[in-house]
Amino acid sequence: MAAFSSWFRALLLLLVLAAPALAAQPDAPRRPATTRPLPPDAGPAPQQRRPNAARLQELRGQREFQYVEPATRAEQSAWSLFWARVWQTLMEWLNSRSYSHFWRWVFYALFLGAGVFVVLKLLQIDFTAMLGRSPRRAPLAYDTAAENIHEVDFASRLAEAEAAGNWRLAVRLGYLQLLKSLSDRGLINWQPDKTNHAYLAELPPAGSIRDDFREITRQFEFVWYGELALSGPLYERVRAGQRAFQTLVAGPAARRAA
Amino acid sequence: MEPENLDLTPQPSAPAAPESFAAPVPATTAAAPEAAFAPRTDFARLTAQTEAIRTEIGKIIVGQTDLLELLLTAVLADGHVLLEGVPGVAKTLMAKLLARTLAVPFSRIQFTPDLMPSDVLGTSVFRQNKADFEFRPGPIFASVVLIDEINRAPAKTQAALFEVMEERTVTQDGTTYAMQEPFLVLATQNPIEQEGTYRLPEAQLDRFLFKLHVGYPTLAEEVQILTGHHGGQGSTNLEAVQPILSAADLAQLRQQVRQQRVEANILEYIAKLVGQTRAHKSLYLGASPRASLALLNGAKALAALRGRDFVTPEDVQFLAPSVLRHRIMLTPEREMEGGTPDEVVKQIIQSVEVPR
Repeated sequence: MAAFSSWFRALLLLLVLAAPALAAQPDAPRRPATTRPLPPDAGPAPQQRRPNAARLQELRGQREFQYVEPATRAEQSAWSLFWARVWQTLMEWLNSRSYSHFWRWVFYALFLGAGVFVVLKLLQIDFTAMLGRSPRRAPLAYDTAAENIHEVDFASRLAEAEAAGNWRLAVRLGYLQLLKSLSDRGLINWQPDKTNHAYLAELPPAGSIRDDFREITRQFEFVWYGELALSGPLYERVRAGQRAFQTLVAGPAARRAA
Repeated sequence: MEPENLDLTPQPSAPAAPESFAAPVPATTAAAPEAAFAPRTDFARLTAQTEAIRTEIGKIIVGQTDLLELLLTAVLADGHVLLEGVPGVAKTLMAKLLARTLAVPFSRIQFTPDLMPSDVLGTSVFRQNKADFEFRPGPIFASVVLIDEINRAPAKTQAALFEVMEERTVTQDGTTYAMQEPFLVLATQNPIEQEGTYRLPEAQLDRFLFKLHVGYPTLAEEVQILTGHHGGQGSTNLEAVQPILSAADLAQLRQQVRQQRVEANILEYIAKLVGQTRAHKSLYLGASPRASLALLNGAKALAALRGRDFVTPEDVQFLAPSVLRHRIMLTPEREMEGGTPDEVVKQIIQSVEVPR
């Protein structure tokens, strides 16, 4: 059985290998075809028939044979007319010389730019950094309604806090008012993320403005961050210091420093 | 191996400390009773002892004031510290000196690729005479543990530190052993790009209060180091450094730190800063609430070191990079662009309004 199987496989292999060779063998020589000329046409000449012109005209008039019904101008809507006009103008422009010489390249550039923009967006690459801009700040996941010191009505809010005996809040408002004055004078660059020390470092090192602001900041930090309980008389003394500093900032010394 | 006999003084990587508001400055216009604006906690002892530590370490280390301040902050805040820097910048020396100023049991573990967890924690050995097992504590059982080159050991060994660093206990064969107080791990590591290092798992990194970068010294500092070494004064004699703080002293100082005042807006500021790391587009992984706690504890300790009994946003901003840089993971795109965690932390600080 094994011998038969091996013989069978060998035969199968032989046939497979030989098949292309057998297929490639030229056809057997064919007998040349004998050709015999046809006898000349001796019959009468064929008669050409023409359709009946009247009948043709009759058929043309029938609705069943009207395959295309061109719309008349009166039947087209204003919207269709508008778009037909637009496409006609566009096609004329695309076939014009100005398009092939100039506008075509403008469009290629715009398409290329749009493609690059989409790719950069998909890759989430901040390409604005290439233009020398600083990185954009990340959006916050919570409310960031910062207190804009340039919009606060300090006079009325200070009066309210003092009337309520909220000395701690009053010291804070007085300090913010000083920051606003320093910012208005150009002595500091107001930014909500800056600390008091950052503003202190921005003040001119010479003169009393820096020393006074350091002391006022120290008092503010004790009161606000240190939750120091103020008495009325102590508040008055702190507030007097703030007012004196306000006068100093408004004076000529601050103008020279700015 | 990092040469420990070098008297190198790394350049401080942290921003310069702000002017201290603790000492009243004579004011020309801002006249108010100074007594009212004095700290309500007596920091005299704390100040004296920390100054003494600075002096002792200053006998060997040149400069390095900011790094030392951060290390002292971690000691007071009861947190572990990871010191990272290239070889030869005195990471190990600084850690050894700090450990020496604390009069508490000290041990050093050199992490190597073949180190096993039992080499760190300890193991149970069979006693033939009593026919039972006895637990032999490993080198981790000390108050100050210096783990040198922590990222030379594979993750298996690093994971052995999870429990002891967070829970201050070691569990072996069903028995839990408590660590003695204080317990402080000072670990050093080379940057991950160096050969033969393993990246520390995030869970491990999160257990460090601070990760401090130790950079190169400035030119002036390096010249000073060379001058001292050339003149034979480049002392690496650790015996010259005297212990300052006992365990009881440290416990007392830590108690003072825990009682620091923190205004509600400061707490919200800390939460916003840490929360922002979870929403930042450049970060794949944000910081955990443990980071918020670390920032709070660190800020309280720093304020005490600076003589204040309350925390200011300045303290928080100063510590934020050290607390957050090892707890966040950059996105692959940001990493490919060459971004660093410190840059992102700086961006986050700039994006959150300072409470005022």
